[in-house]
Amino acid sequence: MVKFGIEFVPREPYWKIMYYALQAERGGFSNLWITDHFNNRNVYVTLATAAIYTNKITFGPGVTNPYMVNPVFTAQAIATLNELAPGRVVLGMGAGDKTTLDTVGVEMEKPLTAIQESIGIIRKMISGESVAYQGEVFKTAGAKFLFKPKGKIPVYVGAQGPKMLGLAGKIGDGVLINASHPKDVEYAVNCVKEGVTASGKRLDEIDVAACTSFSVHEDINKASKAAARVVSSIVAGSPPQLLERHGIDVKKAEEIKEAIKANDWGRAFGAVTPEMINAFSVCGTPDLCMERVAELLRSGISQFVVGSPIGANVREAINLISEKIIPHFKT
Amino acid sequence: MDYGKLVESVAIQKWSVLFDKLIDLILTSKNDDKMPSQLANTLLSHWQKDVLNTQTGLTVLLEAAVLLEPEKTVAALTELQLTNVAEQLKEALVKT
Repeated sequence: MVKFGIEFVPREPYWKIMYYALQAERGGFSNLWITDHFNNRNVYVTLATAAIYTNKITFGPGVTNPYMVNPVFTAQAIATLNELAPGRVVLGMGAGDKTTLDTVGVEMEKPLTAIQESIGIIRKMISGESVAYQGEVFKTAGAKFLFKPKGKIPVYVGAQGPKMLGLAGKIGDGVLINASHPKDVEYAVNCVKEGVTASGKRLDEIDVAACTSFSVHEDINKASKAAARVVSSIVAGSPPQLLERHGIDVKKAEEIKEAIKANDWGRAFGAVTPEMINAFSVCGTPDLCMERVAELLRSGISQFVVGSPIGANVREAINLISEKIIPHFKT
Repeated sequence: MDYGKLVESVAIQKWSVLFDKLIDLILTSKNDDKMPSQLANTLLSHWQKDVLNTQTGLTVLLEAAVLLEPEKTVAALTELQLTNVAEQLKEALVKT
């Protein structure tokens, strides 16, 4: 049965996120994902707070990267979290976003190798092993915790490109696909399948999650207006091939990019077209969103993650998802 | 200001709509920095116990709403026809 996840960016204070997290837990969501960027509030402090206030929701960073945080520290953080909330912790690892890494002068060196090596180190450390490892990107010389980590922590790989998606299928307990359109998700799932098959597993042995930009409201105009804020940034950051695949005018995307650069958010949001919203978000009334969720499920995903903006009013949106959308897929 | 006394004068039938108004004011407020962490923790603790929609919970919400959005809180109370509470709050805000 499909699982529903929810993702928050800790640019919001912890008390707002915890309010929503508890609301989501009560509303039937099974996963809580917190993004990790140095310029927002700290992901692990936010997750520790979630461990205390929530009771059953599974949670983890979605995603952290091995360049900003050395894998031994990531292993330490999630092992400690798993003491606070045993069996409820998962780890999302991705290569990070280049713009943020550039800001702090960190190079995204050999992303595929970095992800594979870091996950290997993390898995060994959280199983209590001493790790002596000479990789291409990471090296450890007998790294071991001075405490005994408990339990198993599933590792999800955040992926977008075909090679990373394949690797995710090969080594991940789950995969986090950053896409909202059935065409993109279907393509991604096929890439994951290749990795899964190569490692002798079946697709249903891993949790395949689509992390969507989501906006629901009973009034479609309000849902679209909220989605446009997020979609404008997605369009600005998308490569031309992706835009063309969705029939989006590259010139229009350039206009949005320019407006964002100039901090002219009104112009940027105003330039977002319905085609862009359709390509890069799941947006609309609860019925329209349900149709899109059903389409995405047919692509082979097992977890549907609602991400920013969630809705024009986040509290109301969580209520709508909990009362109308989740029950539709649980029966 | 005695927020408990103000909430005490609200009829039980209005608790649910008052909860919706106050929590929306708090969650959509841009004045996050005005929320004291102790009050935020109390709010979350009440939410965790699912008692925000009670007299004690509404007292916490009213205090938080006034700190974050004083004028909007008075307007919301007036809209809910809690005129007496709105007037008392208005007077207290003028004094501070």
